[in-house]
Amino acid sequence: MNIFVSGGNKNGKSGYAQDIAVKLAGGGKLYYIATMIPYDDEDRARVARHIENRAGMGFETIEAGRNIESVLETADEKGTFLVDSTTALLLNEMYSGSYEEEADRNAASRCISGLLEIAGRAGNAVFVSDYIYSDAARYDDFTEMYRSSLASIDRAMAEACDTVIEVCAGNLIVHKGELP
Amino acid sequence: MDLIIGGAYQGKLECARKRYSLADGDIYICSESEGIRYGYRCIYKAEEFALWCVRTGNDAVELLEQQRGEWKDSIFICEDIFCGVVPLGADMRAWREMTGRMCSFLSSEAENVTRVFCGLEQVLK
Repeated sequence: MNIFVSGGNKNGKSGYAQDIAVKLAGGGKLYYIATMIPYDDEDRARVARHIENRAGMGFETIEAGRNIESVLETADEKGTFLVDSTTALLLNEMYSGSYEEEADRNAASRCISGLLEIAGRAGNAVFVSDYIYSDAARYDDFTEMYRSSLASIDRAMAEACDTVIEVCAGNLIVHKGELP
Repeated sequence: MDLIIGGAYQGKLECARKRYSLADGDIYICSESEGIRYGYRCIYKAEEFALWCVRTGNDAVELLEQQRGEWKDSIFICEDIFCGVVPLGADMRAWREMTGRMCSFLSSEAENVTRVFCGLEQVLK
């Protein structure tokens, strides 16, 4: 079963996604696919907090900041994969080096094909994204490209997944399918 | 009249195209510089009409009330721009406010209101 989880920031998406991944795994292999590549102390502190939050839940962590489908090479495909988050994955795929470089315009389609490969082959998968589309602002070209790219990933995953959930202040809105 | 709302890039227009079998010529795209035109089955980017209203000193709800006969059978599509922080710029604040009041008005007038989330439709009314 594949589940797509999105919603605003700081609404409890990651915690919910972890719980649901544990439930789906049912005691079987459970992988946390860590997509964030830490660049500074703030990032490292966040990663440490996330590791602490999921301690004891049975996750095996695989780091994959890019080429997300590569996790299938080392993991047991029949297992349950939690990919948190497509937001970080996209940013990494857009910039292979420094942020001074021009963003890679093929990043979104690479993310989609990698994530769809996981959805197609994994026993279960849970994908977490961020809903960043409802504010009143005129952004620069880069930010608009990032937003439209992330939205194209979201929509591809929402179409491919069995269940689509929006988390709002810790509550669940089921847009598609059923809760496991 | 039907209203479709949703965040940026969520697939609002695709949803309308499919549901109402719209051709390109059925769709009017509002703009900050031109405002709104009637006589089209679908009025897209209504939030740009609201921005035109801000720029020209008009009130979107007043104009729409006066011109009800022109759009009462149309499909409106508007971007949900209401969940971010309050914008620092006065004109963006006015735009957000105008769009919000317009959406509430259109919602109350509409037979059907749909929200599009990641390409999926959610019936609100």
